[in-house]
Amino acid sequence: MNQWEVFVNDVKELAEDRELELTLRTLNPGIHKFTYQRVKCQLSSDLAKHVDQLQVRLGRGQLSPSRFSIRVLGEVQRLPAKYL
Amino acid sequence: MAAPRSNREFVEACIAAGDAVRIKQEVDWENEAGAIVRRACELAAPAPFMEKIKDYPGFSYFGAPLSTYRRMAIALGLDPATRLPEIGKEYLKRTNGEVIAPVVIDRKDAPCKENVLRGADVDLCRLPVPLVHDGDGGRYVGTWHAVVTRHPVRGDVNWGMYRQMMFDSRTMSGAVFPFSDLGKALNDYYLPRGESCPFATAIGLSPLAAMAACAPSPIPEPELVGMLAGEPARLVKCETNDLEVPADAEIILEGEICPDYKVEEGPFGEYTGYRTSPRDFRVTFRVNCITYRNNATMTISNMGVPQDEGQLLRSFSLGLELEKLLKSQGIPVTGVYMHPRSTHHMMIVGVKPTYSGVAQQIGQLAFGSKLGPWFHMVMVVDDQTDIYNWDEVYHAFCTRCHPENGIHIYRNSPGTPLYPFATPQERKYSIGSKVVFDCLWPTDWDKINDVPTLVSFKNVYPQHIQDKVLANWAAYGYPPVK
Repeated sequence: MNQWEVFVNDVKELAEDRELELTLRTLNPGIHKFTYQRVKCQLSSDLAKHVDQLQVRLGRGQLSPSRFSIRVLGEVQRLPAKYL
Repeated sequence: MAAPRSNREFVEACIAAGDAVRIKQEVDWENEAGAIVRRACELAAPAPFMEKIKDYPGFSYFGAPLSTYRRMAIALGLDPATRLPEIGKEYLKRTNGEVIAPVVIDRKDAPCKENVLRGADVDLCRLPVPLVHDGDGGRYVGTWHAVVTRHPVRGDVNWGMYRQMMFDSRTMSGAVFPFSDLGKALNDYYLPRGESCPFATAIGLSPLAAMAACAPSPIPEPELVGMLAGEPARLVKCETNDLEVPADAEIILEGEICPDYKVEEGPFGEYTGYRTSPRDFRVTFRVNCITYRNNATMTISNMGVPQDEGQLLRSFSLGLELEKLLKSQGIPVTGVYMHPRSTHHMMIVGVKPTYSGVAQQIGQLAFGSKLGPWFHMVMVVDDQTDIYNWDEVYHAFCTRCHPENGIHIYRNSPGTPLYPFATPQERKYSIGSKVVFDCLWPTDWDKINDVPTLVSFKNVYPQHIQDKVLANWAAYGYPPVK
């Protein structure tokens, strides 16, 4: 199971059961904790629906009580090719 | 006492003076180290030198390096007990002296080249990048450092303290304000051309190099370091670009700024004592080489409520640079001081009020200068008010500043997105508002009949009475006054 975290201004941005593109950071222990990825994913407020878990922080870093289960569908590469 | 030439010499000097403590037990890079630094700042306690970091054997942290005037005095090679006005005089003397150019040394003599990571080995997570505050948008690589760039046309070098968050193993994002030197270069040159901008980030600088990176001086930082230290700064060429970096720095990150590609940054605990600026898409730094000393020390500034080194040093240097500017314009200033607890938002200017409108003239010069975006209040007091004594300044403000005639507001001026009072729209576009508090008696008042007399011990009693009372103070039964 992977632990993820997302920053949003409003939890309503996190629509359930449809494909979203989000910037997530990993909360898995280790030296890469808190590094980010841009991903396509699906969320559910049913914490048992997906294996991975997502917690939410708001615009000034406040931890939201909202929790989701999450399925990461794949990574999105945003970096322009000239910088690769 | 010589000024410390490196962060290592500075740590040792601080420990010897009782202004730093060695923490030998393991400290977690996630929040714990940040919390120690924050508490040290809030208590004005000795700086923590943390020798053992979870997950990162061989690395150490030095927190709150310059968050007290004692440590600033040590950095300048002065007695730690040197008082602030004397530290200021020393800064002015050294920075008004002859320019001392840096020297470029061979890479084999540069400690920062002891370890070199290139290609697939480049991973910022190999460094003990701390999570400084719980709830920050990320782990911050750069909190007390210098981002080194060179202007693409003029060729002048800039060292700036632009905060940098680790986004992924090779990417950092940072806040670069549009009115800053780097912001102007990116917007004027690199962005229209779609070209990347070479950069290097130097971490674990000598305290004077950090002071130079933080100071809003017109003197190029490598020269400013030399002038402050009294000897040339030692630089070394980067591995992957033509920039030169402090050879004695603990860690160097080399790479390119991608002006047309932005990633999320923040929120972050800021020098105002709040998390104000929202998470947003900000400037992206791609890292392609890391060099570092053996047993490298990462410096941490933990910004928040007063007082931390950002507040202390920016207040110190902004005040003194404004004093230089005002004197260069012939303004009869007697001193300029920013209290660090104003989080460098209020400039207190002492002046001989010899002509009318001098307070507004000071405000216009201050706000119209390159220094202006960093503060929004100027309080002008007369030369009889001790600008370092907040009790006197506050009394002058509350009693001499006319609520209608003494407050002058300037709208639509440059500001920073970090102003806590600014509206969301103002933050987004770096729009500020400024105010001058004129605490001078109007020059057209009759000095005998209109100007009130200050009723204080030192002002209303004859000198011989003052001397007698002071001489007999203990005999009256009072404890000595410190």
